[in-house]
Amino acid sequence: MSETKQHQQSLVSQKFIASAKIGKILANRCLNCGFTMLETIYFCEKCFSSTFQHVEFDGVGKVVTFTIQAVTPEGFEDVGSYAWVVFKMDNASFRVSGFLPGIVTPADLPIGSRVRVSDYDPKHGLLLKKI
Amino acid sequence: MIVIFLVSVNKALDLPIKWTILYVACLTFLYVKIYFLAMINKVCVLGAGSTKYGKLDEGIVEIALNASKEAISSAGITPKDIQAGYISNVFGVADKQVHMAPVIMSNLGIPYVPGLTIESACGSGSVMLREAYANIAAGFYDCVLSLGVEKVTHVGTLQSTTLFSYCSDFFYEGGSGASFPGLFATIARSYMNTFKATEEDLAHVAVKNHENGLLNPKAHVRKKITVDDVLNSPMVASPLKLYDCCPFSDGASAVILCNEEFAKKSGRQYVEIIGSGRGASPAAVQGREDITTIPSTIAAAKQAYAMAGITPKDIDFAEVHDCFTIAEIIDIEDLGFFPKGTAASAVTEGATRRNGAIPINPSGGLKSKGHPIGATGVGQVVEVFEQFTGNAKDRTIKDAEIALTHNFGATGASAAVHIFKKVK
Ligand SMILES: CC(C)(COP(=O)(O)OP(=O)(O)OC[C@H]1O[C@@H](n2cnc3c(N)ncnc32)[C@H](O)[C@@H]1OP(=O)(O)O)[C@@H](O)C(=O)NCCC(=O)NCCS
Ligand SMILES: [Zn+2]
Repeated sequence: MSETKQHQQSLVSQKFIASAKIGKILANRCLNCGFTMLETIYFCEKCFSSTFQHVEFDGVGKVVTFTIQAVTPEGFEDVGSYAWVVFKMDNASFRVSGFLPGIVTPADLPIGSRVRVSDYDPKHGLLLKKI
Repeated sequence: MIVIFLVSVNKALDLPIKWTILYVACLTFLYVKIYFLAMINKVCVLGAGSTKYGKLDEGIVEIALNASKEAISSAGITPKDIQAGYISNVFGVADKQVHMAPVIMSNLGIPYVPGLTIESACGSGSVMLREAYANIAAGFYDCVLSLGVEKVTHVGTLQSTTLFSYCSDFFYEGGSGASFPGLFATIARSYMNTFKATEEDLAHVAVKNHENGLLNPKAHVRKKITVDDVLNSPMVASPLKLYDCCPFSDGASAVILCNEEFAKKSGRQYVEIIGSGRGASPAAVQGREDITTIPSTIAAAKQAYAMAGITPKDIDFAEVHDCFTIAEIIDIEDLGFFPKGTAASAVTEGATRRNGAIPINPSGGLKSKGHPIGATGVGQVVEVFEQFTGNAKDRTIKDAEIALTHNFGATGASAAVHIFKKVK
């Protein structure tokens, strides 16, 4: 599950996407100081090292905040009512955000609701599901 | 060297240690003072101009030139006096013009004067102003044009919403369906949840800014509204409704910046910039530990207050970045006007109205005056200039002498704060 590596410029977001497709969030653990951050960050925020170990977390967490988009950007006009959600990961210190279809009113998604990563779609980004 | 010399003289003469400390302190103070006096030229605003904000028929270059011409005439100079041009713009591509600076300079009749185009999303204007400021302060130029421009309304709501979403951290935000109203809506929900603020509280920001914008002939949305109008307006991204949002606007604003010697020689009224600060925040909302505050504002304000040698209490009015009603509430806490979590009720009680304890956005702000994103940061300075030179008419904040402008890019990923003093 984990692999030691120097950051490679290409493929960074592709690796993140590959993990998201199986419901995981790919993160980097700094080999110098142990701080964990999202895969797409190139230098450790704490010690500026760029030698990381990949760690995959279960893409599960609690909703911190969200919105239901009535006026949408291109590519989201025909997806029905959806929420854009920021959630705090259960087993990691960071937050992740994504697209959650089927949310019509704020009552459908009280803050603290549990969500999980269900897929990554090139048109709609990180897909979430309510659990 | 001198300090070491003095210490050894003191030792040789066997003087008490407190004398040595006193000598060293005085010398350090003098050295720092001389260093800063030698380094930084005072920077002044000598002229200002703006087009109307709104849906404009002219092309982007014409809009930019109209504001520039007004600023040049307001400063009583000719283009010959301009040694450099700083131009902020984000979506020139939407009107088929990028590399804006040389086009502007050429059309001002000064094609051999260097220009620079700067982009920093909705904060482009103030970030650009800071670069223009720094170049005069450092002595590279005596007088420059500082111009912001935007033209987007011709592309329509869907395309504008999409273009603006490119200013987010697109991989995590725009690419998963977040628009700018959406991103600020998540900030609003977080703030309301943490501090028990209500949608009515947010609505009061819009009502107050529309009240001010009604007095501004150049404002985009000049319309008196009530709290009920805001609450009943169409949903854009819950909990933000149409009247919680700034509009998409076209427009340009320009100021002429110069050093003090140039300003004094002109014999005209001018305004001095006494503080300037820049700050940054994580690009994505998810990257922020606390979603109810904008770190870039706090950092930029701290620098600007320190440079001006004042505190928030000394500010007589402020033009702040109210792209959405929630933004104004967070801004006025981050700028130090209200303790965290209290601004919503302060706004509701009227503390930020033109006759309140700290008038906020007498121009009408982004909400009513409009938000041509490349121009907004400069437009705020135009308002300060009009206020301090007796041209703000019914919007005039009585006896104001010190004002602050605050403008940020995206959800506050970049920000700049400037402080201005009326020169009598
Ligand atoms: C709210 C929003 C979606 C409405 O856009 P729109 O649908 O294109 O609005 P329209 O141009 O169709 O205008 C419809 C009417 O509402 C008015 N209007 C538009 N936006 C308005 C606003 N934000 N506040 C008040 N009135 C507004 C228009 O003047 C127009 O009135 P009219 O019919 O009397 O002329 C859009 O203004 C928006 O997204 N604003 C946010 C912009 C943004 O994100 N900026 C960056 C900030 S960081
Ligand atoms: Zn580290």
